[in-house]
Amino acid sequence: MDNKSVILIVEDEEGIANFISAILKANDYKVIKTAKGKEAISMTASYSPDLILLDLGLPDMDGVDVLKTIREWSTIPIVVVSARGYEREKVEALDLGADDYITKPFGTSELLARIRTGIRHSKKYPNENSGDISKTSVGELEIDYNKRLVSISQKAIHLTPIEYKIIVLLSKHIGKVLTHDFIIKEVWGPYTNEIQTLRVNMANIRRKLEENPAEPKYIVTQVGVGYRMVEELEQ
Amino acid sequence: MVDFSDKRPNPDDILEDLSSNLENGKGRLEIFFGYAAGVGKTYAMLDDAQEQMKSGVDVLVGYIEQHTRPETIQLLSGLPVLPPKIIEYRNIQLKEFDLDAALKRKPKLILVDELAHTNAPGVRNKKRYQDVEELLNAGIDVFTTVNVQHLESLNDIVENITRISVQETIPDYIFNNADKIKLIDIEPEELLNRFESGKIYRQERTEKALENFFTKENLRLLREIAMRKVANRISYANQNEPHLSPKMANIKLLVCISASPSSTKCIRWTERTAEAFHAPWTAVYVETMESDYFTDLEKQSIRDNLALAERLGAEIVTLNGYDIATVIAEYARLSGITNIVIGKSRNKKTIGNLFKSSLEDQLIEMLASIEIHIIPGNMPRHSTSQYKRRRMRIGKNLYLSWQDAFKTVGLLMIATLFSWGINTLNIGNQNIIMVYILSVQVISRITMGYVYGIAASVLSVLTFNFFFTVPYFTFHSIQKGYPITFFIMLLVALITSALTVRIKTHVRLAVEKEHRTEILYEINKKLLASNDLDGTVMLVNEYMVKVFGRSSILYTQDPVNSLTENFLQSPSDPDASFLLSKDERAVAHWVFMNKKSAGAGSDTLMGAGAFYMPIVSSSKVLGVIGLSCANGKLNQNNRLFLRVIASQVEIALERHVLSNEQRRMTIESEKEKMRSNLLRAISHDLRTPLTGILGASSTILENGINLDDETNKALILNIKEESQWLIRMVENLLSVTRINQEPMNVTKTPEAAEEILAEACSHIHKWFPIRKISVKVPDDLLMVPMEGTLIEQVIINLLENAIKHSPEDSIIKVEAKKLGNNAVFEVSDNGSGISDEEFPNLFEEYVHQKKRSADSSRGMGIGLSICKSIIKAHNGKIDAENKKNGGAVFRFTLPLEESEDNG
Repeated sequence: MDNKSVILIVEDEEGIANFISAILKANDYKVIKTAKGKEAISMTASYSPDLILLDLGLPDMDGVDVLKTIREWSTIPIVVVSARGYEREKVEALDLGADDYITKPFGTSELLARIRTGIRHSKKYPNENSGDISKTSVGELEIDYNKRLVSISQKAIHLTPIEYKIIVLLSKHIGKVLTHDFIIKEVWGPYTNEIQTLRVNMANIRRKLEENPAEPKYIVTQVGVGYRMVEELEQ
Repeated sequence: MVDFSDKRPNPDDILEDLSSNLENGKGRLEIFFGYAAGVGKTYAMLDDAQEQMKSGVDVLVGYIEQHTRPETIQLLSGLPVLPPKIIEYRNIQLKEFDLDAALKRKPKLILVDELAHTNAPGVRNKKRYQDVEELLNAGIDVFTTVNVQHLESLNDIVENITRISVQETIPDYIFNNADKIKLIDIEPEELLNRFESGKIYRQERTEKALENFFTKENLRLLREIAMRKVANRISYANQNEPHLSPKMANIKLLVCISASPSSTKCIRWTERTAEAFHAPWTAVYVETMESDYFTDLEKQSIRDNLALAERLGAEIVTLNGYDIATVIAEYARLSGITNIVIGKSRNKKTIGNLFKSSLEDQLIEMLASIEIHIIPGNMPRHSTSQYKRRRMRIGKNLYLSWQDAFKTVGLLMIATLFSWGINTLNIGNQNIIMVYILSVQVISRITMGYVYGIAASVLSVLTFNFFFTVPYFTFHSIQKGYPITFFIMLLVALITSALTVRIKTHVRLAVEKEHRTEILYEINKKLLASNDLDGTVMLVNEYMVKVFGRSSILYTQDPVNSLTENFLQSPSDPDASFLLSKDERAVAHWVFMNKKSAGAGSDTLMGAGAFYMPIVSSSKVLGVIGLSCANGKLNQNNRLFLRVIASQVEIALERHVLSNEQRRMTIESEKEKMRSNLLRAISHDLRTPLTGILGASSTILENGINLDDETNKALILNIKEESQWLIRMVENLLSVTRINQEPMNVTKTPEAAEEILAEACSHIHKWFPIRKISVKVPDDLLMVPMEGTLIEQVIINLLENAIKHSPEDSIIKVEAKKLGNNAVFEVSDNGSGISDEEFPNLFEEYVHQKKRSADSSRGMGIGLSICKSIIKAHNGKIDAENKKNGGAVFRFTLPLEESEDNG
């Protein structure tokens, strides 16, 4: 048995499915394809892929329903493929348990990065909360959970408790997009609508972490969706 | 040859008829019509319903009377029955037809027994026929039953025959407009037999009913009336059916209405006659100075009479004038009346009648060619005289005031003193008489009503007698002829005083009329001048408050959906904000849906605090007007005036509807133009990169092996770049479709300016990795209300534009800052700047593309014009200028605070 990761591509456009599978095969992934939502569900059950690339517009059923069905019994990472301008659809998918999304049209490097992140997370997930990770670092940024310390180039940064909570949340899901609602629920608790407060806090964090808040390196904004802490700095 | 062409029905008419029937989707009304209880109407109705049920129609039994016979009850089996609504009234449980449940259930056909039934208090409609009308309006077919004595126009005839007055009546138009009338008929003998066997009423009630109502003679008469009514209907239908003859307009009836209860008889008689001739008829009420002295009871009775006439289908006219006969004659002449109906029930033996010829005589004198019908009043004598007496007493009471009494006495004293002076100068007695007559005239002029004038006449005669006739200081007069002098003096004084009062009344009425006409004219003028709907609404409310002294509300759309509160409080009203409550809104909604007046003082939804009238234009409801009734109900006159105003408002609203429609169409066509321009521009622009892609890819496919690596790579890079350009183009197009869906409107949410800038820059960075962009944002977080993705698109477009027009190694600057109440975004480059010829239509729609050579452009025109539409939709501004040291700056501002009007 080879231990190549298996990727399930659920995509009804043949051209796109072909090009994705070509890239993935070239990058040493095993690829299975389907164009139907129902098939996708049964294939997920029988092949148990390492990651699913799910297009939301499918001919036989709504991609969101496929997502819901799979999430009922599986935590396999799912990356949703959707077009720009459908921000609400993306947020819905993320809130329903999708791990990430990628916007059509996308480049190969972006796609590969998402898939890498997704697979890595699924491997890390089981012991994520057990506390054996004491540090996260990206570029110059370092977060020490035991000391509750955030530093940039070894210089400690003073953060308010809320700001610290947000950073920890983003760093624990590093590489993943967290929706506004998700962050708010995790930080402030359910039944609150603190979107403005979240934005103000994010602005403050950015001013403390980034060299230029308008060109953030560590925490990037996905307009209309949420925030993501990058895993590796762009060159 | 006979030419039939003009007699043939116009097919268009028939079609229109059909389509209008289909269009308004009204239900069909079938009435089972009988001459007395027990002829078997309900039985026949249920029988029919069973038939319908068998042929698959969705039938529902809405309500069947409780005293129904067992045979009839048997027929109910198998039919779905709507449970009645139980209403508590004075501790009695009343069962009523549940209208709302029926409307909700919405069957194809519903059975509602006893059309003439009066609903229990607390139910929405006063009468069941109103329930039925609502059902019909909702498109539900209705089967119902009614007896001949319940028809409004036949009410008095039946009362005459049976000596039982029937309180529950239905207006004739319900009967006349019914789609089908089924006469249910049996022999009176048979009916009586049924009676005796107790099949109709329960045993204990039978005795009494038999005695009073169900005599063979009565039944025969009732049967005849019922049959005649149905026969009339058929003959009428026959005449109208073929669309041949225009309505017979050569007969026009006029009925005169007074406060007398016998007027109802005249009204009914006129209705029947008009019906028989198929002629239009008018009910007229003349408001004279006497109207001011009417008691509430009499005013009520006039209102009732007018309402009755209206219900029966008359045109209602209220006229003002002193002399009833002249006014009626004038009106009749002007409006081509051929027959006048008057009631005669007045008391003969009054002084007034001695001198005045009766109304009918005057009318005959003035209108030689018009037929006059006199309907005798059959009122019991005592009640009429009671009416009369009270009027006199109250009439006088009304205008007794100390002020007027003081004026009278004062003037008489002055006259006496003056006469005393004349007397001492030995100037003749006749002058003294003149002085007194003058004083009487002055008194009638400055006091209210007849009373003081008459009192002054008598007093002046007495004082003259007392002071100036021998023997002085007594009431005796010795000289012969003095009694005649006194008598003449009294008469002159009386007549002048009466004349003066009459003139005054006339003036007052004229002024009142003038005032109303003036108001109407003013409203009309102002409505014509007002250009926007809100202005019109304000104006109407203002006038309503001014004219009626009541708080007013005007809805210009379905009140339930209406968000704006077009409401004006009148200073003379108690707090009228209840007009905005949910209940009142529901009443207004009902009016809107049913195209009928409702609320306080009407027959429907009487519990409401205001009176609502729909503003209807060509069968479409344009709005609802409401007047608060916190200070009492509206009288007939006010309602008429309200209707006149409503028709003015209707014209104004109609105008707005039309102009809105036109504006919409202009916008639509402009959008269409823009779209086709866009399409033309795009298809041209798309061709260029597609040609490149196709060329490059086919080159690689066909000659791939023969090309060196570098060429291959260059070709593939070319494909990539062209595709990227296409993607950006498509993103732009998508943005356009997003603002075009709702003309110039976007949903704004506060976004952090820096986040938007960062996202836009990261996009650009992906496409143009070698270009340097410097971004500057304020230290404080700048939150701007916007649609994030659209503004991002604007920044991307501006950045792309800057990249295209500046050298590769230059830096492009992007900056966001706060300036007053605006957020300002700037994109500047060090490029060639904007040429003078480009400036005027830099942000113009796609047209200017044509001026340039076809290959030089790559859709940048589209990019900038899209920026402009997006910024415009955000209520912002965009402009561009050249920097002094080379390069261009593109700048747009977005308002930070949401302005009031969002669109």
